[in-house]
Amino acid sequence: MSAEVLHKRARKFERTIFLRNGREYGGALIAALAFGAFATKTHDVLFRIAYALLIAGLGWVVFQLHRKGAARDLSTAMGTSACLQFLRSELERQRDLIANVWPWYLAPLVPGFIALTVAGLLAGRYPVNLATVAWLDGIVALVFWLVWKMNQRAARSLQRSIDELNSAESQH
Amino acid sequence: MSDAGHTQDELYGEAAAAYGAALERLARAYEADPDLRRDLLQEIHVALWRSFLGFDGRCSLRTWIYRVAHNVSASHVMRQRRTRTQALVGLEELENLPDANAGPQAADRSQALDRLMTLIQRLKPLDRHVILSYLEGLDAASIADITGLSSGNVATKIHRIKSMLARWFQQGETDHE
Repeated sequence: MSAEVLHKRARKFERTIFLRNGREYGGALIAALAFGAFATKTHDVLFRIAYALLIAGLGWVVFQLHRKGAARDLSTAMGTSACLQFLRSELERQRDLIANVWPWYLAPLVPGFIALTVAGLLAGRYPVNLATVAWLDGIVALVFWLVWKMNQRAARSLQRSIDELNSAESQH
Repeated sequence: MSDAGHTQDELYGEAAAAYGAALERLARAYEADPDLRRDLLQEIHVALWRSFLGFDGRCSLRTWIYRVAHNVSASHVMRQRRTRTQALVGLEELENLPDANAGPQAADRSQALDRLMTLIQRLKPLDRHVILSYLEGLDAASIADITGLSSGNVATKIHRIKSMLARWFQQGETDHE
């Protein structure tokens, strides 16, 4: 591969990493845009506060995703680290990311959903049926629980892989 | 910072010339899909070139190259885990797979090698590193340096690999006599 082709592919590689990260953020952006649209359509202050809290929560999640989990260029580490150590380090990073999704991935959205519930219950012009609010909150709570549960399961699977590597490293 | 006297481009040129074919074989063992394999190979080359900024000669060029190639490939395997239909197995479990017992014995050697490659693609990353390095002619000490396993552990795995290969290919030759 000539230097020119290589430099071109290196730039493409950087764009690939950028896009890979972008996909993670895309869902949050779509949700934020939707909440923003709802906020502009409503005249109820409480609803606007709720949507603003949800958008802020999503912003915090994206920031944490970027800080903790973004795809990174590990080119030098790949040469200095033997395969076992590199693999373990990546697995540990991913395990730590998903083992504690509650504080950085789920909890930031809770204030917004609570505010949305309160806004819905107190809405004067469009009274919301209490059962409907309970039903919707129940669905949100179930989704949160499922996300937490799935990530816990994935973290345990990663831990098993890490344990295997530790066992392999200790064998002589 | 690169190794004294060698620029990043020079090191890459040397690596590509000496190990280009080996890197292609390695990519083939990590990815069955031709399009994804091409992407993986490019990723390996780019990572290699970028990595030479940090090469300081503390290990041999060959060790560095194989580490980068295997680590890029292992990252690729990890990213594919969500779409993978079959679980990866260790070297010990490979012998017990039904298609392993059916063996890579085949009418001609290229088919046998294709079957062997398919079985290698079932392996967990670390065992894949070992078998591929062995097939490239590296000794146990070099494989240990690349993989981070002890020499003893690598030697044990190589012994197992040799037995498996001997059984498969010898059985294939016997079936076709």
